[in-house]
Amino acid sequence: MNWRRYRLIVWKEFLQLRRDPLLLRIVLIMPVLQLLMFGYVVGADVTHLPTAIVDHDHTATSRALVNSFASSNYFTIVARPTAEKDLLPLLDSTKAQVAIVIDAGTEVGLLAGRTMPVGIVVDGADSRTASVASGYAAQVIAAYNARRLALQTARVHGPSLDSRVRVVFNPSIRAVNAMIPGLIAAILMISVMAVMSQAVVRERARGTLEQMMVTPLSRGEYLLGKVTPYVLIASVQMGFVAFLGRVWFRVPFNGSLWTVALGLGLFTFTSIGMALLISLVSRTQQQAQQMTMFVMIPTMVLSGFMFPLESMPAPILPLTYIIPLRYALVVLRGSFLKGASIADLAVPLGAMALFSLVIFTAAVTRFSRTLGD
Amino acid sequence: MHAALLRIATISRKEFVHIIRDWRMIVAVAVMPLLQLLLFAYAIGFDVRNVPTVLYDADHSAQSRAYLDAATNSGFFRVIGNVNSNSQIDDAFNQGRARVAIVVGQGFGTALADGRAAHAAVLLDGSEPNSAELGRAYALALNNVFGQRVLTTWAATRGAALNFGQLEPRVRAWYNPERSSADFLIPGLMVVIIMIVTVQQTAVTIVRERESGTLEQIMVSPVRQVELILGKVAPWAVLGFADTAGITAVSLVIFHVPLRGDIALLGVGMFLFVLCSLSIGLVISAVAPTIESANMVGLLVSFLPGFMLSGMAFRLSSIPVFLQVISYAFPGRYMVDISRGVFLRGAGWPILWPQVVELVLYAIIGLVLATALNRRRA
Repeated sequence: MNWRRYRLIVWKEFLQLRRDPLLLRIVLIMPVLQLLMFGYVVGADVTHLPTAIVDHDHTATSRALVNSFASSNYFTIVARPTAEKDLLPLLDSTKAQVAIVIDAGTEVGLLAGRTMPVGIVVDGADSRTASVASGYAAQVIAAYNARRLALQTARVHGPSLDSRVRVVFNPSIRAVNAMIPGLIAAILMISVMAVMSQAVVRERARGTLEQMMVTPLSRGEYLLGKVTPYVLIASVQMGFVAFLGRVWFRVPFNGSLWTVALGLGLFTFTSIGMALLISLVSRTQQQAQQMTMFVMIPTMVLSGFMFPLESMPAPILPLTYIIPLRYALVVLRGSFLKGASIADLAVPLGAMALFSLVIFTAAVTRFSRTLGD
Repeated sequence: MHAALLRIATISRKEFVHIIRDWRMIVAVAVMPLLQLLLFAYAIGFDVRNVPTVLYDADHSAQSRAYLDAATNSGFFRVIGNVNSNSQIDDAFNQGRARVAIVVGQGFGTALADGRAAHAAVLLDGSEPNSAELGRAYALALNNVFGQRVLTTWAATRGAALNFGQLEPRVRAWYNPERSSADFLIPGLMVVIIMIVTVQQTAVTIVRERESGTLEQIMVSPVRQVELILGKVAPWAVLGFADTAGITAVSLVIFHVPLRGDIALLGVGMFLFVLCSLSIGLVISAVAPTIESANMVGLLVSFLPGFMLSGMAFRLSSIPVFLQVISYAFPGRYMVDISRGVFLRGAGWPILWPQVVELVLYAIIGLVLATALNRRRA
């Protein structure tokens, strides 16, 4: 291992990066774009759903109920049609995505002690909104019932349930708080896998790899020199995302930097290993690109990064255990939001260590054997 | 005119030979989209269920068991075990084993028997916002129902018929009554998948010719810029359209997605949309100095704004206004409107014509821009 030769390779790699001004710009723009997309689009909290109200009851009760919907943050009343048939054009044109239908006789029924239905029409063509809207509606109605019950039983000294529902770790349930820590790991993977695999394949495709091999450069030096610039770039990007996440999106950080560093370190090895494996199976840069997509799309979908693991069907769940990003997410979210210690995160960290060991060693041994071919 | 057509056809044939010479390319174009469709359609969902839950019963009375049973039977909480202390709850949360803890305090049963307030708590892990949000709604509804039941039974044992009416949400989902995620996602998915495939593939076509020097050879031939662009687009347009047809067939046959509207409208829309994404790819190809940067831009554009600003999975009206404005610069959102409208809402030309017009304009502007940029480079 010659320090000077290693430095020269790193230098060469940086020079090459600089020669393609567009690529350099992309590398810089990428984290910004990802922060925007993941912070504002995926991390957007679904609120202010456009809601239509059909009130057939016209009583104090129905008005109070409508008020509790209107005053919640979740629903914005955009229309009050008088008949149910007027809902169809509203939902067809997506001017309204939720409709609340209060039947005539609701107040009378309530006073007689019956359970009265409240119709909630959701736009099933948008299943995320539908799911969230029915959850919110249940919450608003539950709160209304609870208030009503409290008023009525103020005189009756009977038993009651005093149950607090408390959200810990992310009390305001901001989606961004879970998104940004995940993005730090995702950006590392994307940068290393997409940019580095291209750089290695390029040398193979152009034949400059052979020229390297006839120089005194050893394979270890070549590999290390090739990896260093991209790990550095990825670190800068991660630092940038973490900084903006803390300052701009105000994501809390409750854990220890050491746990995060350990997790990201292990994940870096895994990502490098995957990048090398991609460059092994690809002959052209375009193939490398396709392989990257082939690995990245399932990773994004199955890791729990964009879509909650709890919403996946049971037969799919076992698949998520072979996605390294899944564990990185547990470590990062655990550190940022929960302040989990290394001991708490032993299982995901262990899994990551195993992944990095297997993928990295397999890739490096296979790669240095094929280097000269 | 005839000569021009002949030149376009020649370029197309050349491009087509390029494609079929590389079997990996065929896999990428024909197999990948279907794999992506299967993966997304099976894995993505927003209906959170089976949230891992631990129970902490410090009371061990009939009442506390009744409360915990009511929680278990709600179907939302999947009980993974019982714990005996608050610190065990912390551990389960920190290790990510559980996302919900339902705690019944000591004296729960006696308090209820004496007619006092009994204490319980539902703790939710907010680090998974979707589960936390829905878990809170379920927990509040559960407490509401249980509290009322306790009171009415208590009154009944004292001979008083205490009967409070209550409101009960009754949810109906229009357009997609079973609220199947597949029905919701697939019409949008096919748009995004086609975009990813076509942008990626065409982003490199011109750069590659420039790098390998064959672009110069084409430039000295009688082929004009417009003809080059059209010739390059034609085979991909055919392939992209074939992909669309394949995906549509799989969606209808395997996933039983309903097709309620006009299939001709869908076809026209998809064809225009393929042209739009191809023109994005060609613009990238004309601007990018190397294959690498073309690949990266293609990846970024098709995956980030192409996917996320299409409205396919994330509600566009929830995002900040400046991003909503940007979303109009990508053809995905128009096509997602058309696709979802035709498949799920049974919408036709009277409702969707504006989107079709937008796609036509987009395709024309895109192809003209690609030609102009390429001419400037050459």
